[in-house]
Amino acid sequence: MPPLARTFVKAAFLYFVAAFLLGALMMLDQWLGLGRWLRAVYLSQLHLLVVGWISQLAIGVAYWIFPRFRRGEAAEPRGSAALGWAVFYSLNAGLLLRFLFEPFLLMDRAPWLAALVALSGVLQALAALGFGWLIWGRVRPME
Amino acid sequence: MPSTSRICVRASLAYLAVGAVLGALLLINRWLPLGAWVYALKISHVQFLIVGWLTQFILGVGWWLFPPLQLGRQPDGTMARRGQATRGSESLFWMTLGLLNTGVLLRGLGAPLQVWTHQDWPRAASGLSGFFLLAAAIAFVLNIWARIRALGRGA
Repeated sequence: MPPLARTFVKAAFLYFVAAFLLGALMMLDQWLGLGRWLRAVYLSQLHLLVVGWISQLAIGVAYWIFPRFRRGEAAEPRGSAALGWAVFYSLNAGLLLRFLFEPFLLMDRAPWLAALVALSGVLQALAALGFGWLIWGRVRPME
Repeated sequence: MPSTSRICVRASLAYLAVGAVLGALLLINRWLPLGAWVYALKISHVQFLIVGWLTQFILGVGWWLFPPLQLGRQPDGTMARRGQATRGSESLFWMTLGLLNTGVLLRGLGAPLQVWTHQDWPRAASGLSGFFLLAAAIAFVLNIWARIRALGRGA
């Protein structure tokens, strides 16, 4: 498994644990009333699961196992590693930005918080487009 | 990767791109109001990413990589060769893709159109989408079931 795929998969597992931890706290909150902020992280927790865990795992595994380019077709057999790292950083910066600021935005509608959350959406969309660009040519028959 | 999986995975990548851009629009709308019409895209965003991207990607990769059907003698006496014939019914897989994408598009386009046009037909389209998705799920499970098996000696 190449370093980029390992990084995607390890990050995915960290989000998996973090999202389940948050989910456990949210369940406890329904019983014990731990704090208002736990009711504001519902959307963030959902995104940690769907984007941070499942989508990121799919991206990492696809980068690892999809058919590689033939010699001479591309400079690198799995496509541009630089683009792959850009996808990784963009996706995770977007996810973390959203996770950190969206709960505060739901409690206080400050424009600067809205701007940061909007930026998180743009970063994640750029990561999705970058991944599509990176992997498209490798969706092809095996040798 | 067989052509069936290639179409499936490429369709899923297209949904990923569209779904993520819709998500960005929804978040930008919280900062710079683009209009009330944007809120109606939330269902499309969720549907495109959960079913169009993730589910369809998993179906495509599963169809490609799961263990092949047991190799055996065919009715004409020849041995089945590895490849498409040992993946299951190709026509049923195409039907699965057709049903899944019809369901995703009916729901993903019907829900916002219902809000924007106040017409009844998008509501009907959206309402029917669930049956297309259910049929796709049943067709795929029937097709892949026999391939969920041990592979190799002692497995």
